[in-house]
Amino acid sequence: MPGIDECLLEVMRLPGARGAAVVDWTSGLALGTIGESPNGDHEATAAETAEVARMAAEQPVFAGDAAVAGPGTRTPGAVPPHPPGLPGLAVEDVIITTAPGYHILRFVETSFDSSVFLHLWLDRAEGNLALARMRLGDIAERLVLA
Amino acid sequence: MSPAATAPSGIPGHPALSPMLQRLAAERATGALMRDRGTLYLAEGQVVHAESPATPGIDILLTTGGTLRSEGWWDAVAQAGAGQRVGRYLVDSGRVPGGALELCHLGALYDAAFFALAPTHTPARFRYGVSHWIGPVRPVPVDAVQRETLRRRELLDRIWPDALTDSAPLVRAAHPLDAPVPPRQRRVLDLVDGARTATDIARELGRSAFHILVDLRRLAAAGMVATVRPAAAGPASAPGRIELPEVTADPDVALLRRLRDALEAL
Repeated sequence: MPGIDECLLEVMRLPGARGAAVVDWTSGLALGTIGESPNGDHEATAAETAEVARMAAEQPVFAGDAAVAGPGTRTPGAVPPHPPGLPGLAVEDVIITTAPGYHILRFVETSFDSSVFLHLWLDRAEGNLALARMRLGDIAERLVLA
Repeated sequence: MSPAATAPSGIPGHPALSPMLQRLAAERATGALMRDRGTLYLAEGQVVHAESPATPGIDILLTTGGTLRSEGWWDAVAQAGAGQRVGRYLVDSGRVPGGALELCHLGALYDAAFFALAPTHTPARFRYGVSHWIGPVRPVPVDAVQRETLRRRELLDRIWPDALTDSAPLVRAAHPLDAPVPPRQRRVLDLVDGARTATDIARELGRSAFHILVDLRRLAAAGMVATVRPAAAGPASAPGRIELPEVTADPDVALLRRLRDALEAL
């Protein structure tokens, strides 16, 4: 039954993994970190990646069909239908490629209200992006499952 | 109400949030630090739990989303409360996955600490030896909690520098929405009714009150939500606190909208 630290350790077993974190994208809080961070400051990195995750999570273009109250609902007082409870995640992950590496932000779906993602910083020469992306998805699921 | 409204005027370069907390961490104290707006529980100088009436507790967060039924919560409290191991029991009995409990508890801890460490003139009290019945989940250093609390204050002020949004009843703007509102903010906006405060909305949605503050400040910055200002209070003091240059994220539309609203209100 893994916790945050066990999941981060597992992430670091991926080939080319340089650092990882569990981050809340509403507040920018780092809930857990491991390894290196690109600017040497895990907390600052978390605040920055949280901003990227939030943008991705909130853009209507990525939100699929019914999930967003778009500009179509201009009538004052008209409440657009949105599913009660917690809707599924519209965005699964965000991948950013830089010269030396990849950053994968993988959203974590929880049964309580949260806005959590896993951030993996992967070395470009040693890492395998496809493998890392798949594994990160598994780990994100296992983080919140028994 | 007034302390919350007046407090966050302190801009950057804050002094230590709580010298007492600093000292308790240094002496690796165990007990409960009771402040005006919440309580921090320490174990050997680390923060193990925090509570504040301003933000929903972990029981509400877990039961609202359906992670846990409320019978399950009360059963855990009955079984493990006396032994102060409710967190451990929830995981061991298979009611809540370990990772989910850590995420939820950590989030609740930092949120409650943010409110508990709000500036106050009431002296804090520390009761040595007291521990919380939730038991150990994932202790965090005092320094991390203080740093995060300061960072959160700055984050809120960067989004929209009006602290009254955090505590006052809120109203929706009279004009129709002319921009898409992300679903999470939308659910917050739907509950803004002229009476509810951020804390009320958080409790209703079973969400962290700090998350609600962030959403409400974004909505306020976009001109979609405004505070119900007490009519008696002199409006002359309000403009002094608004620092327009601080609002960086695409201010044009929101700024114009606020100007229009202000002109219409004349």
